[in-house]
Amino acid sequence: MLSYDYVKCSDLKQAFDALKANEHAFPLAGGTDLMVGMRGGKFVPRLLVDIKGLEELKVLKEDSAGITIGSAVTLNQIALFEPVVKNAAPLAAGAHSVGSYPIRNRATLAGNLCNASPAADTAAPLYSLGAIINLVGPDQQRSMPIEEFFLGPGKTALQKGELVHSILIPKPYPAGKGVYIKASRTGSVDLSTVGVAVQNWGGKVRIAVGAVAPTPVRALAVEKAVNEGGEKDWARAAKQVHDDISPITDLRGSREYRYHIAEVLVRRGLEQTMGV
Amino acid sequence: MTKKVTINFTVNGDRETREAVVGQTLLKFIREDLHLTGTKEGCEIGECGACTVLLDGKPVNSCLVLAVELEGKELVTIEGLSKNGELDKLQHAFIDKFAFQCGYCTPGMIMASKALLDRNPNPTDEDINEALSGNLCRCGAYQEIREAIKASAKQ
Repeated sequence: MLSYDYVKCSDLKQAFDALKANEHAFPLAGGTDLMVGMRGGKFVPRLLVDIKGLEELKVLKEDSAGITIGSAVTLNQIALFEPVVKNAAPLAAGAHSVGSYPIRNRATLAGNLCNASPAADTAAPLYSLGAIINLVGPDQQRSMPIEEFFLGPGKTALQKGELVHSILIPKPYPAGKGVYIKASRTGSVDLSTVGVAVQNWGGKVRIAVGAVAPTPVRALAVEKAVNEGGEKDWARAAKQVHDDISPITDLRGSREYRYHIAEVLVRRGLEQTMGV
Repeated sequence: MTKKVTINFTVNGDRETREAVVGQTLLKFIREDLHLTGTKEGCEIGECGACTVLLDGKPVNSCLVLAVELEGKELVTIEGLSKNGELDKLQHAFIDKFAFQCGYCTPGMIMASKALLDRNPNPTDEDINEALSGNLCRCGAYQEIREAIKASAKQ
């Protein structure tokens, strides 16, 4: 059995003190990645700092700024939250596609992002929605666009002792349809082989692709062809995604397959959001 | 030295105060400390669903929860479904429809199904597929499991 200490925090100060006091302290929210990683030896904590009981991290609300999702909010809560379903459809679909129903009762959006898998199913949707990540540390708070949060596989902009406080889907919301389409080996309980989020912003499109580069990436060449070049042939536009991605071969799919399926999913995404 | 934490919780309707070892999963705690061995250990990485229990009414993989996280929570295991020695109607439906062969996945299947019926008394095939997406049956009794859930819903 693994041996470490555990502290259940009742406020953020307690969490920061605990994280500072022990070099091998890990924050614990849903724990669905952490527990698996600990068992496999990927993470070797000496102290688990349980933050899921903090009221301010359990916030799930919509106000004049947009939709705020606290770091202790579970994926099932997000996938069913009416303002997300209505205004941030790619995120509702991405959150709903993670793991299985019981896993989503524990797993959090913040955890999915901090794990920083390029295949994280909630990440591409947040790129397509222009999400802001709010970080909090013992001395300061800071915010950044999700593009700046993801640095590489397993790497984020989080500094030691810092926590994700919340994720903001800012207003104005996109005026148009959005989708997240995932190709995976099985219907559930698998990361995406390729995941594509496409969001129509009042006639302009914003596209992000997961599992095809060290971080999720925007399909900027496709966006340019559609938004600036006026391309209406979605199949031709989707081909541009080859310039935006650099996939590798791994257990979920080959490099060649990923190039192919990314193009297919981008085309479908354009058809579904921009009209056939 | 093994570190222990005192936890207060409810299991199958009874209030309990126990010591839990830090680092012990809820699954091990249920089986080895509470001696409720109906909850099964399968993959231990949240993929098979054999260890599904209800925590505050919601299905979770008990292999991905720490025992110390049980503090203040209400836990229901497969043993909690029968009342006065009489099986729950969902358990009867599983027997009537022969919704298993080896039976190893059955406690997890029933707990996930119970949670589904609690939140959605008349589930469609699609609702059932989604709710049980985290529960694997290597004998392949999925069709019968769907029938058992629908039969129980009708009663």
